[in-house]
Amino acid sequence: MAASSYAEVSIDAELDYEGAVYFNDSLNPEIDQNVNNSVSAEMEMYTEWADGTQSLTFKPFYRYDEMDDERTHGDIRELMWHQVADEYELKVGIGKVFWGVTESAHLVDIVNQTDSVESLDGEEKLGQPMVQLLIERDWGNLDLFVLPYHRGRTFAGPDARLSTGFELADAVYESDDEEGNIDIAARFYSYVDDFEYAVSAFHGNSRELVLGVFSPDGNPSNITALQPYYPTITQLGLEVQYLIEGWAWKVEAIHRDGMIKDQSVFVTPVASVIGESESYFATVAGFEYTQVGIFETRWDLGWVAEHLYDSRQEDASFGAFEHDLLLGTRWVANDEASSELLAGILYDYEYQDYSLSLEGNTRIMNGLSLELEARIFAPASDNPQFDFRDEDFVKLTLTYYL
Amino acid sequence: MKKLLIGLLLASTALTGFAQTPEEKGLAIAIEGDKRGEGFVDSQVKLKMVLIDAKGRESTRDMRVKTMEGQGEGGDKSLMVFDTPKDQKGVAMLTFTHKTKSDDQWLYLPALKRVKKISSRNKSGPFVGSEFAFEDISSQEVEKYTYKYLRDETIDGQDCYVVESDPVDKYSGYKRRVAWIDKEHYRALKIDFYDRKDSLLKTLTNSEYKLYLDKFWYPSLSEMKNHQTGKATRLVYENYEFKVGLKSKEFTKNSLKRAK
Repeated sequence: MAASSYAEVSIDAELDYEGAVYFNDSLNPEIDQNVNNSVSAEMEMYTEWADGTQSLTFKPFYRYDEMDDERTHGDIRELMWHQVADEYELKVGIGKVFWGVTESAHLVDIVNQTDSVESLDGEEKLGQPMVQLLIERDWGNLDLFVLPYHRGRTFAGPDARLSTGFELADAVYESDDEEGNIDIAARFYSYVDDFEYAVSAFHGNSRELVLGVFSPDGNPSNITALQPYYPTITQLGLEVQYLIEGWAWKVEAIHRDGMIKDQSVFVTPVASVIGESESYFATVAGFEYTQVGIFETRWDLGWVAEHLYDSRQEDASFGAFEHDLLLGTRWVANDEASSELLAGILYDYEYQDYSLSLEGNTRIMNGLSLELEARIFAPASDNPQFDFRDEDFVKLTLTYYL
Repeated sequence: MKKLLIGLLLASTALTGFAQTPEEKGLAIAIEGDKRGEGFVDSQVKLKMVLIDAKGRESTRDMRVKTMEGQGEGGDKSLMVFDTPKDQKGVAMLTFTHKTKSDDQWLYLPALKRVKKISSRNKSGPFVGSEFAFEDISSQEVEKYTYKYLRDETIDGQDCYVVESDPVDKYSGYKRRVAWIDKEHYRALKIDFYDRKDSLLKTLTNSEYKLYLDKFWYPSLSEMKNHQTGKATRLVYENYEFKVGLKSKEFTKNSLKRAK
């Protein structure tokens, strides 16, 4: 048998240990935990055949969390068959797609559901079942998607840190096909020299949820759970990035139709009241300015400023940024350990409150990396995020690559 | 552009009756060196990058590079994929070299599935923590420098031209480079890099040259020594393969995402 006629499978794996310390006692008297341990494992199996024009990737993920049963979860991050033909590429299976250019928010990014128990920055995603057709020409790239199944967003359980303190009821959908609704999406992207742009469209089950309330007996004063509700939406997205000298100018904008206000959803076992749908737009725009080799060292220093706006203003959904400003600085050591640190302040100039974040990573040795994340929340008492005021934490993650 | 330069060169040689100025001679050497590298069509190579700190401690990275020769006005295209360090596995960089404007460069981060355009302003910055700057590893087009022939010199028993080249781009980290180019094969055996203040910053030594396809000389070892920090970076190349039939669609943004 010729060596090339059997498929070679490459296997990679990584193991994480994560330790988190919360500075304050939880507002929920039933939670007495200020230190949390968690471990996770991710494996990637890859094989290709037909001269590399076809491949299969399988990437399962599992996390165990000592405190939170909702955070103890598994997911198929990827199970994808990929074919590269002369005129197109086709992907069928479960996968992940990223859209966007900005730092503080990922407005445009809509194909995958956020795995929010994994991280608060919205960058960890659940695997999305999809058929993706990619067309790449001199004039640009066109990606077309059929998304036949919706994943519900993950949330911390009621007796865990970083939670709302409420149980979540089973999700309700506007679509009669519920999570089986066939969503569609498309994105065109191209560039001219240092000017890059993308336009995208999506129609189907919203990835962002509307947070309503659930009453088991229809009595509005007997609310036993928060009610996730996924309306059918249409979203148009725009991404622009322009690099000039040390500047990277960035804009993301969305127009969304079909979203519903939080709290306007009231669900009982027999009947539901769903508020009026509305359309709105949201933007994030700003820049990153990078100084290369500061103070005669190898270091780069980046300055990030972004403005976030949501046309719904105070009626915006729980997780939205209505009127905020991100100011941050990124330090890149350019050392053999690839050390980096990003510090930021997100300031809400209407509520006049802020949150601070620090994210960093370095390599201890080949195969062992260390990551740091710290967040401090200082919400104003009339801010919907007020319940997070005592959830400040520092988290260290050790990752071992097999 | 190259044709134009050669035309100008011939015209000026004709006028001065072979009494070349140092600038003309320097440019002629650069053009001849470039010409000797032409016609490789495409190549692929595996290499090991060894970072050596001032105390002699080493850390290594493994990568693969595919290159496709530019046609006419277009420069070379290259795709570099990292195998180690393990946390960087699958990180890939796509570069479109241009002769007169800034190169286009994109980085793919597999964990985020994100393709990021890299600013050409970064060219003087260290490449993955090494002593090589981005501009040192990108394809060297004749048009990116102005030249001046300095003198003849013999190193390691090989007769060399010593040629100064000054970067055209104001964002280069160098004021000038001085290269020792052997007269027989036009190979750069050694290059001194002078920083913006004109003090000696680094020296690149290329050695263990091998001849491929009876025409192309490539070094198997390149060592960059930083005189100001005492650090060094060694590039160890495995055998090059040429004319492997790479296609231009292997050098696109989509190809970055599937580069394994």
